[in-house]
Amino acid sequence: MIEATNLTKRYGKKTAVDDVTFTVEPGRVTGFLGPNGAGKSTTMRMIVGLDRPTAGRVRVNGRAYAEHRAPLAEVGTLLDAKAVHTGRTAYNHLLAMAATHGISKKRVAEVIEMTGLESVAGKRVGGFSLGMGQRLGIAAALLGDPQTLILDEPVNGLDPEGVLWVRNLVRFLASQGRTVLLSSHLMSEMAQTADHIIVLGRGKVIADAPVGEIVARAAGGAVVVRSPQAAALEEALRAASAAVTQTESDRLEVTGVPAERIGEIAAGAGIVLHELTPTNGSLESAYMQLTADEVEYHSENPLGHVAQEQGALR
Amino acid sequence: MTTTFAPATPNPVRPVSFGRVLGSEWIKLRTVRATVWTLSITVLVMAGLAALTGWSTVLMRESDIEVDAILLDMHPASIVNGGWFFAQLVVIILGVLTVTGEYATGMIRSTFAAVPRRSPALLGKAAVLFATVFATSAVAVALSWLVSLPFLGQLDISVDLASAETWRLLGGTALYLATMSVLAFAVGALVRHSAGAIAIVIGLVLVIETVLASIPLRIFELVSPFLPSSAGGRLLMDEVSLSFVSNPDAPVLTPWQGYAVLVGWVVLLLGSALLVTRRRDA
Repeated sequence: MIEATNLTKRYGKKTAVDDVTFTVEPGRVTGFLGPNGAGKSTTMRMIVGLDRPTAGRVRVNGRAYAEHRAPLAEVGTLLDAKAVHTGRTAYNHLLAMAATHGISKKRVAEVIEMTGLESVAGKRVGGFSLGMGQRLGIAAALLGDPQTLILDEPVNGLDPEGVLWVRNLVRFLASQGRTVLLSSHLMSEMAQTADHIIVLGRGKVIADAPVGEIVARAAGGAVVVRSPQAAALEEALRAASAAVTQTESDRLEVTGVPAERIGEIAAGAGIVLHELTPTNGSLESAYMQLTADEVEYHSENPLGHVAQEQGALR
Repeated sequence: MTTTFAPATPNPVRPVSFGRVLGSEWIKLRTVRATVWTLSITVLVMAGLAALTGWSTVLMRESDIEVDAILLDMHPASIVNGGWFFAQLVVIILGVLTVTGEYATGMIRSTFAAVPRRSPALLGKAAVLFATVFATSAVAVALSWLVSLPFLGQLDISVDLASAETWRLLGGTALYLATMSVLAFAVGALVRHSAGAIAIVIGLVLVIETVLASIPLRIFELVSPFLPSSAGGRLLMDEVSLSFVSNPDAPVLTPWQGYAVLVGWVVLLLGSALLVTRRRDA
């Protein structure tokens, strides 16, 4: 359980995290979403006491992180895949981390096996790929078998197999009743992994809801209709105060009325339908709408602007 | 890769304690190459310079060169520990890298995540560094004594292991080098930048202290005996050298007073580093 209350972080005049309040509940995977510079990493660093809040406070499992007597047994953290001395081997890194909490060599060997690092454990971390660095960071987070896991961009740099592995890992950990907070820029990944999403934009919480609710909130929700009598159908639908866009000669996109009503209108007017497909709002579109005004680095060029937002979503 | 993530066996996790932090810091210190390199160089420099000093003293005795009276009165142990000045440059680098290496690589975030109170982590590092440099320097001094034995024999002198001054000079070498490495460590923790911290400490030892000591202004005459290396260095000088480097117009520290002043600097710098590190974002 993570409870942030009025958490604020300012660097000089710049406010990175602005009066943020949220709770990350145990037993589910909570996703932390936001464009670059939205304050996700800063918030995560404040949770584990690496950055000092300018105002407000954050508790993990009921206490400030630094007040836990065995912090690695409370919270496992992957904040930065490269938070490791490059000149030390993966095994020795884990051994040194474990030693602070009297964790056995056996457990070190266990987390190495779990994360598939056996073949590189004796190599210096400096030569690791991004994916291996991520696995090592996750191994370190698991060392103390913690109740709460905080993973910043855990799938960054992982191959598809690794992405699937992280997804299974966090879902399994949440199913055991643990608290899992992870951030990702991969919307599709988040849709498949998270149960609950907190969206940050310019340091503020702009949404905090279950995944389904966030998707449903997306305006999207258009119904695609194909008909050889598209013009007549369009007229009938407009009469029913629907918004209609003709995308092809026989294809309409309709919003404002549900698919059932469109079918009834068509039947009433004796119009033949070839297709009637409700489309769900995607997490992508929901997220784009939520953060449209919150992207920090707008470009002057309108085309550049689009590229920038897409970049932020990568 | 397995699909279970919980420990297969009961996995006792104990609270963080200073003893465990020491154990962790010892693993960290011995598992990076910089430690192995700098400590090997320390031993080589000490033993090499002991041999060179012994050899050159023999050569001067054998030649017709008018040998300075000072040299003839030199304490035999000063031949053995003659490499201290250069050895300190190497242990300064090790002291700085022990902490700045973690800042440069991001390791410090892992360290402070495991030990969020931070001070035990820094003190643990400093303690392990001190003990390791002390032990290595002691080995280096012993080796230096061995390699200088043939030259001491030719000079018809020997290191009197029963004399207190011998133990001050030889034991003091290990003590001084270990203390200087912790001074460098404290500066590294304050500056958090390898090159910057190395430049500051080596610049202090090689340039600033020497220059200030040679400026004939009253204020510098009064201050320079109390600078870290000038004060601490008195611990490993024999009586002849002590009188030679003492300016009669300036305060004169005994060897142990000098070392106490160096320890004062270390306490001041390390204390500041602890205070600042607790407040700073990692």
